[in-house]
Amino acid sequence: MAHARISASLPPDIDPTKAPIAFGKRALPKLNEELQSPELLTQQRALMALCDLVHDPENVYQAIEIGFLDNLKPLLLHHDGTVRQKTTQILYIMAMHNVGRQELIQNGVISALTELLDDPVDICRKHTHQIFEMMAKLPEGVVGILHASLIPSLVFKLKTESDEIQELILDTLSNCLRVEASEGLATGAVTILKEKLTHSSVAIRSKAAWVLLEIGTHPAGKSVLCEEVVPALVGLLEDPDPEVQAAATGALMFATVKPQGRFSALGAEAIPPLLKLVAEETSKARLSAIKTLTLLAELPDGRKTLLDHTDTFQQCLNDPREAVQRAAKTAISVIKWKP
Amino acid sequence: MLPARDPEVVAGPAVPYSYCSRPRALPARPKYRATLHAAEPEKEPVRYANLMYDRRVVRGNTYALQVVPVSTQPNPLEIQKQREARRRALARKRAKEQMQPRTPEPVEGREHIHVQTELYLEEISDRVIEVDIECQTDAFLDRPPTPFFIPAKTGKDVATQIEEGELFDFDVEVKPILEVLIGKTVEQALLEVMEEEELAQLWAHQRAYAELRNAELAEVQRLEEQDRRYREEKERRRLQHMQMLQKQKETTEKIAARAFAQRYLADLIPSVFNNLRESGFFYDPIERDIETEFLPWLMTEVEETLERKVLGRTMLDSLICTVVEKRLDAFSRKPLSDQAEAPAEEPRPTDAAPEVAGETDAADQPVAEKEETDQLVAEEQPSRHISFQLEESDQAGTEDLETE
Repeated sequence: MAHARISASLPPDIDPTKAPIAFGKRALPKLNEELQSPELLTQQRALMALCDLVHDPENVYQAIEIGFLDNLKPLLLHHDGTVRQKTTQILYIMAMHNVGRQELIQNGVISALTELLDDPVDICRKHTHQIFEMMAKLPEGVVGILHASLIPSLVFKLKTESDEIQELILDTLSNCLRVEASEGLATGAVTILKEKLTHSSVAIRSKAAWVLLEIGTHPAGKSVLCEEVVPALVGLLEDPDPEVQAAATGALMFATVKPQGRFSALGAEAIPPLLKLVAEETSKARLSAIKTLTLLAELPDGRKTLLDHTDTFQQCLNDPREAVQRAAKTAISVIKWKP
Repeated sequence: MLPARDPEVVAGPAVPYSYCSRPRALPARPKYRATLHAAEPEKEPVRYANLMYDRRVVRGNTYALQVVPVSTQPNPLEIQKQREARRRALARKRAKEQMQPRTPEPVEGREHIHVQTELYLEEISDRVIEVDIECQTDAFLDRPPTPFFIPAKTGKDVATQIEEGELFDFDVEVKPILEVLIGKTVEQALLEVMEEEELAQLWAHQRAYAELRNAELAEVQRLEEQDRRYREEKERRRLQHMQMLQKQKETTEKIAARAFAQRYLADLIPSVFNNLRESGFFYDPIERDIETEFLPWLMTEVEETLERKVLGRTMLDSLICTVVEKRLDAFSRKPLSDQAEAPAEEPRPTDAAPEVAGETDAADQPVAEKEETDQLVAEEQPSRHISFQLEESDQAGTEDLETE
């Protein structure tokens, strides 16, 4: 058969692992055909080439138009590890573009990816979780993930996976649980997250606290939070990392909305660290700390303690952010309220 | 098309076009011009030309025709234009000549002459030393090989030599290429860095927004919680108040009822006693005794006595009646029989009287009887004679009936 190559020795700059890309518009359709070929090597080479091409958004759009996703979906369940790995990588890069995300949701790729959660190859799992994380940023993606009943499996995976993947799972969970917390609560996510609060890695601690925050936005989650987690969160307020502090303060903020939470927070001596956080000018947690103190000030004990510290709040009135000023004003008014 | 039309258009508006003449056949244009000294009298017959073969008629496409201007007098505007066009052409020519590089003017005392180089150019190099050498080949040497056939030179020989620095200056030329290469690389790198920065900023922005949103959400929930607590408190207080009002109402009712009952019952005992007294529950026993027993007995006794008296009177009446009747009969029948009946009648009332006495009860009645009989006797005699008759007849009848 006539080949485009003239001599047997390959030119110096070509990558033998990639399929040669056709010119212009024919590149993607040709790769599409090569993907369907029964030979493993051709498929792998086509996948490698596709992986490079997909970084360009125009190619993503074109790929979707041609219908690449229908060919990529069965490849997810291929027996060869490289094929799976490359397919997940391609899907991840596609998920970074909005068009790609929409198409992935519509084609039900999420449910196909659930099978890959237990994949033996690490990178496949990592890519899968990256895809989930990307999808969770879209509201429709969250809906898709909830439909595929992924939350229990994700929560379960938290216990077993490596740190990097745990971070990804925590990100996914935080976006999903913001929308719908009942499933997460049913699988006992709070207990697992409580353990993670004492993890050695800073990122995992802050992300776990963030997930607890999102759980706390729902009323059912609040009661669970109040029962179990408040002391641990108060402990995290002393953490040296500002991210962790910010997330922990936010979670506390939601937990103290309910009266039981307030009592347990007061019991756990939450006020001094919160005051410290408020006093720092540039902390991210300032706004959340002010809000939490406002909530605690609605209790008579809290009000008594905080009456001595109103000058800290007065300082907050000078903060450049308008939201902080407003919060400080409400805090002062709540503290000074007489029944 | 348009430029050709222009003169027409320009000429047009100046003079409005109008033409009128009688249509006539045009004579043919003679091929040769008539000679000056041609005799006039010979008039050739006028040959009418065929329109189709007339050279004056425009054939073919008239769109791109150069039209002769209407007026033979050249239009001043057109003349000006042509003059200007000529001037411009001249100027262009001059400019072009000037642009062309020329050899500089000859120096004083010299003259430039155009020279055509010789047919064969010689290289200007070091002077070649020429030496004449003769040689004679041996008689019996081999025929030398024929020399290579080098055809005679035709055409011009040209040779060049590129010295260093004549073609291009590497440093100057490489500059733009280098710039492009490095510029593109740096640009790409900057783009990537900027993208990452942008991403990081977007993340920071998102986090800030998320914080704000969470704070607002917490505020909303706090206010909700507060509102709920206040509402519950209000509800409880309201219930309490209602209960209090209820109790108050009950107490006032109770008080009112008690006062009323007291008042009502204040009269109760006297009225009860009054009622009882009126209905005869309190009685003097002796009085009662007298009333219940004695008086009825007295009344019955009195009744009996009276009855007896009445009976006695009736008896007497009947006696008297019978006596009177008998006497009447006796007196009516015969006066003889009167005397016999009269004593018979007298014992009868006396018989009757003890019978009557025997019938009635014992004690004081005989006394009363006697009185009554005395009275009866006294009463009879004066007045009730005749009336008695009827009454006695009736009473006798009734007594008879009673005895029966």
